[in-house]
Amino acid sequence: MLPSRSRLSVVLFLAPPLLLFGGGVLLPIIQSLVLSFFEWDGITRLEFVGLDNYRTLLRGDPVFWTSFANQLVYLAICLLLQVGGGLLVACLLLTILRGRETLKVLYLMPAVISTPAIALLFQRIYSFDPEGLVNTILSAVGLDSLARAWLSDVTTVLAAVSVPEGWRFLGLYTVILYAALLAVPRELEEAAALDGARAWQAFTRIRFPHIMPVFITTLIMATTYALRGFDVPFLLTNGGPGQASELVTTYMYKTAFTSGHYGYASTISVFIVLECLVAVGLILLVLRRKTD
Amino acid sequence: MKRKQFLALAAGAAAVPIISACGGDAGPARSTGAAVEGDIEPRTISWLLSRPANGAVIATMEEIAEEYAAEHPGFALELITTPDRPSYIQKYETLATADKLPELFDTDATPFAAKLAAAGRMIDVQDLLEQIGILEDFRPAALNYQRFDDGALHMIPLEFGVEVFWYNAELFEKAGVEIPETLEDMVPLCEKLAASGVTPLAVGGQDAWPLERYIAFQPFRIAGPEYVQNLKKGDAAFADEPGTASVRWLAALGQAGAFQEGFSSAGYADAQALFTSGRAAIYNMGTWELPNLATTELPAQMHEKIGFFTLPVTDGAATAANEFVAPSGIGVAINAKTYDPLVRDFLAFALSRYPEKYAASGLLGPTTIAPVTPETALPIYEQAVAMADDLGEATLMPWDTQLDPATNSRLQQDLVLLVQGDVTPEDFITTMDQTLTSNAPKYFED
Repeated sequence: MLPSRSRLSVVLFLAPPLLLFGGGVLLPIIQSLVLSFFEWDGITRLEFVGLDNYRTLLRGDPVFWTSFANQLVYLAICLLLQVGGGLLVACLLLTILRGRETLKVLYLMPAVISTPAIALLFQRIYSFDPEGLVNTILSAVGLDSLARAWLSDVTTVLAAVSVPEGWRFLGLYTVILYAALLAVPRELEEAAALDGARAWQAFTRIRFPHIMPVFITTLIMATTYALRGFDVPFLLTNGGPGQASELVTTYMYKTAFTSGHYGYASTISVFIVLECLVAVGLILLVLRRKTD
Repeated sequence: MKRKQFLALAAGAAAVPIISACGGDAGPARSTGAAVEGDIEPRTISWLLSRPANGAVIATMEEIAEEYAAEHPGFALELITTPDRPSYIQKYETLATADKLPELFDTDATPFAAKLAAAGRMIDVQDLLEQIGILEDFRPAALNYQRFDDGALHMIPLEFGVEVFWYNAELFEKAGVEIPETLEDMVPLCEKLAASGVTPLAVGGQDAWPLERYIAFQPFRIAGPEYVQNLKKGDAAFADEPGTASVRWLAALGQAGAFQEGFSSAGYADAQALFTSGRAAIYNMGTWELPNLATTELPAQMHEKIGFFTLPVTDGAATAANEFVAPSGIGVAINAKTYDPLVRDFLAFALSRYPEKYAASGLLGPTTIAPVTPETALPIYEQAVAMADDLGEATLMPWDTQLDPATNSRLQQDLVLLVQGDVTPEDFITTMDQTLTSNAPKYFED
């Protein structure tokens, strides 16, 4: 057991971050939980409504379920680009000998650009008139029949607002997974190559199991971040046209700050917290079992 | 043991704001009359703004504030600007909820502002203007635009404008069309313009309100301003005749290819550029853009071609041809909580000098002083300004200032679907009426 003097210093060092975490994270969550049982417009008095907000959420709000489905699509695209793309780029970085650091910095740069700048950038990229980058490239290769207003077409707008977020943090996950890949013992891979294993087999049997703990962590990070993704879709299309790019988070924001239904918005925020907990639980369940 | 204590502490901390909010109204009801006694103590006052930072309103007010500060050392006017209107609205509503609004703040005559007024948080501007003695100088239309439904005036207008349809005469000639006489004429007009290879109507859909203007036109002509006043409370429905006519008209315009492709993500400046570069035939915009549309700032090839027409009527219209959208911009409200002799004195000083100074900028002001025509003005500049002097009684109030926020937000998003043909008029009407009935009565009950 630790000597008692050490235990005191442990408590002293842990207390400030715990208090910060409690006050900054747990407390607002509990406040939201409490507020979700009320109806409040911000100016007049609070009105206790019990479980009404939850009943409306679960049974009487089609917009919410549309936004939930949209958020899942958003999550899928972000995971594919961030973790999938990050892993791919990290593996590719291992194959080159020079310029790894430069490339990592270049990939990481979008993560430090401010969100409104990214939104403006992509509004221009997707623009139909004046012709933006995507449509110009499509015309240049002869695919002008595919050119369209990506942010106005209800079939493409959701993917269009998910891609910027995926692109933005690709570099971050590349750096993390690259560091994990570096730790894979080279002798194992060399031995496998000598035994005639193909690149794909070496990857799935040797490299990937070795980076599994880091991969789980990045997956959890990316998932919880995507489930709370808000700024780029909000700035690009504000959830439109119709509800085609409405996410749970943008819907919650509008319910609170545009419509003034703070109680109902708190209910949605409680749902988001639970959703994140379930997602993390699922990831741990599925992937931890694989590593055991 | 420790976990239970922590949870109890957290629950206690979480309950504090609830208890404080439940504990009755915040203090005694404040008087909203403009009369106030006491000495003038100069200090810094703040103004929460939603106007372009380099615009004429701010420039004029800054000049006036400097003059006032010279006579009252210690005074300063701090401007807090957020020109992006949706962000501004959220900032202002959040500050209002936290009771942290500054001395002056911008707001339209929205249902939210009406709630603030009902709670006694805004000074009675009619009273103030009467006391200063300048009430008669203001254009009635400018003041009426700022009034709530019960006629109460709590915001000061600092601008005035009329919204007209600017058009490119050369493109009209090429397509073989004339200025439309009725709103129905606009559908075949747009078909012919689209067939001639140009965008009929340029609209900046990203800001939502430019498209939302179009849904207000038919009801205003068919039933007058009362329709939206009833609609917003749920006493009328989108399924009623004016609403249905408007929805069908917009769907028809969309089908005729009236709006540019991708209009819902087109920014304000892009839509204007589409018109001024000659690729769009018609652009619905207010006279605050006169410096860009009616002076030599306009691209040279448009100088001879630009013209305008006002909102067409319909057969048997309830409103006249000289009645259309004539807004007086976002108004300035005065916070009752921080109102004191200094604020009153400054406002009296500022409002007496503002109309003339603002007229020097060439733009229409809220009073009857004629604006100074700039040297770079085209002939059409004065023609547009002259429209402001011949307005009828009824004003078309933009729907985004009338409807409750939830219905308004839904309307803005679903209008795009309607115009793009992604939803049928019948489904649109059903959805909007459902949204209206579940939000409007609760919002407007008092």
